[in-house]
Amino acid sequence: MVMKLVYRLTVCAGILFLLFILCTPLDSYSADIDNCLLCHKYPGLSRIDEEGKLRLLFINETAFNNSVHARVKCEGCHTDIKKIPHDPVKKVDCLTECHIKEPSSEQKFSHKEVADFLSKSVHGKSDKYGKQKKHIEDLPNCKSCHDNPLYRPLSFFKRVRPGISEASLGRCRVCHKKEEFIFRFYNHVTTRLHKIRNPKNIAEICAKCHDDPQLVARHDMSTQAAFSYGETFHGKAASYLDERVPDCLDCHINRGQSVHQMLSHEDPFSSTHAINKGQTCAVAECHPKATAKLAGYQVHPEFNREQSPALYYFTVGFIFLTGGTLLPLMGIMFLELLRRLFPKATLRRRKK
Amino acid sequence: MAKQLMIKTKDGEKYFFRFTVNQRIQHILLASSVITLVLTGMPMKFHRIPWAHYLYKLFGGISVAPVIHKIAGSILLILFAYHIIYVVCNFYNGHIIPLKKKKELRLGKLLKRIINLPLIPNVKDIKDITALLKYLLYLTDKRPEGAQFTWKEKFDYWAPFWGIVIIGLSGLIMWHKELATTFIPGEVMNYALIAHSDEALLAALFLFIWHWYNVHFSPAVFPMGTVFLTGYLPEELMVEEHYEYYKEIMKKEGLEHEILPPHGSPMPESMKERMPA
Repeated sequence: MVMKLVYRLTVCAGILFLLFILCTPLDSYSADIDNCLLCHKYPGLSRIDEEGKLRLLFINETAFNNSVHARVKCEGCHTDIKKIPHDPVKKVDCLTECHIKEPSSEQKFSHKEVADFLSKSVHGKSDKYGKQKKHIEDLPNCKSCHDNPLYRPLSFFKRVRPGISEASLGRCRVCHKKEEFIFRFYNHVTTRLHKIRNPKNIAEICAKCHDDPQLVARHDMSTQAAFSYGETFHGKAASYLDERVPDCLDCHINRGQSVHQMLSHEDPFSSTHAINKGQTCAVAECHPKATAKLAGYQVHPEFNREQSPALYYFTVGFIFLTGGTLLPLMGIMFLELLRRLFPKATLRRRKK
Repeated sequence: MAKQLMIKTKDGEKYFFRFTVNQRIQHILLASSVITLVLTGMPMKFHRIPWAHYLYKLFGGISVAPVIHKIAGSILLILFAYHIIYVVCNFYNGHIIPLKKKKELRLGKLLKRIINLPLIPNVKDIKDITALLKYLLYLTDKRPEGAQFTWKEKFDYWAPFWGIVIIGLSGLIMWHKELATTFIPGEVMNYALIAHSDEALLAALFLFIWHWYNVHFSPAVFPMGTVFLTGYLPEELMVEEHYEYYKEIMKKEGLEHEILPPHGSPMPESMKERMPA
């Protein structure tokens, strides 16, 4: 009897414990004080908008809480939402001043300065004389390249590897008592210590425009940049997820500057201008022993007759060599197999 | 060089000497390094195709496979250098020293000796190719009578020979790009990459289709030719591919009466009982 009672109690306790675990939010530190997730937590929440496009309205809370914007309240960016349920909303403007204060200056935080940089870069909407460029609708805005990136922490404890090091968190806890603060601060710093995206991702982002043949033609660009990058050893290694190889940004941005300050290769201040290329390749972590001649390597050649005729005919030569060697030999193989089917057959008998 | 037994007999069948132990070891080193190079190199060439990623992972992915590729490449280049020395030494011992002893060492004579080396392509090869085509197109039932090395084997020798020069040189340029571009323009690297990868594809297809067909997959040899391991070729294959050389060896060994008729012709009554069914 007693054993049975103990058994039943244990089962009940077990069920209660499981319920407790299942009902506790995975991460109770979300910035959702206005309870937007009341609706947006449902996967599949979506609608077809006026243009006939499917809009997915689901917010993955776990993913969002591990993203760099986790501490920004929903209405920090969606400023036009004042009540729930809300009307259709405007697109997010990244230049909005959000509630976060930049800790070193105590100023409200915004991405405005990035926009200033971008407008002066090769991706800006006006040229260096202030004249508006053609097809400005093709030029990128913030969200053409950026989504809400996830934290990608790097652990330096004992061995460099991705992920959060419990061992280093232990050191933080001595002085900092709030787990949430430790988690955010650790992630903020260690994510910034390396690139948030690997070279393959970067090339894919650039490819959205730079591999679009119509867009490339409209803007008189000479190459499908990401594709030709993929044909170099840099690009091939990147496709195997090597993070040590240079991506688009490593060569196209001057050292110490931001992605948003990229210049045209025709600009003499650009890292990819003919006079600076040599130095760009020869930086300490890439090809420090290289002479300026190494930069003569064509990173973005197109294999067409108009642009690089020599490379084109060189390649065609090899194709003919391959075909010219293999096809006759395979022909002989085929004939020989046929011959073995009728070993005695012949048009002319051997003289006895 | 130690004198080799030209014909070995086992279970009543004759086997004909083809390759020395040294040559067989060279071939195994060549084959294994080339296969490794192809397996670690082709995923780089075809990196946009999904299977390449699985294959590359087998070799340790991007952080390990390139190292394996370079080690295998180095082995192949060292083997190539050794082979050149081996050929030159053999020629020196086999031809230059005897000529010196006879005091007949002249340029004309040397050139003649070089031309007559068994792996140098000659007029007989062209005749054999035309004769083979006639045979394959049913114009005759007579197969060409091959010499010690047929045109197929000469092709198998010289194609990789040229391939190693092209692929090795372009590979070295790309491996040591900083050093190479101190004296050649950087644009050469574009050509080196094309030459390296396209020539490698040609070599791989050539070896895995043509060479493997001839030595393993052809119905005459299937499932596997063993001459690359044993150094000795069975009599029936010797008759089929090297009839001229076969007759020569048999005469030399004093076995004239045992010479089999050419491939495809009826066996004389006197020999039938000797042949296995």
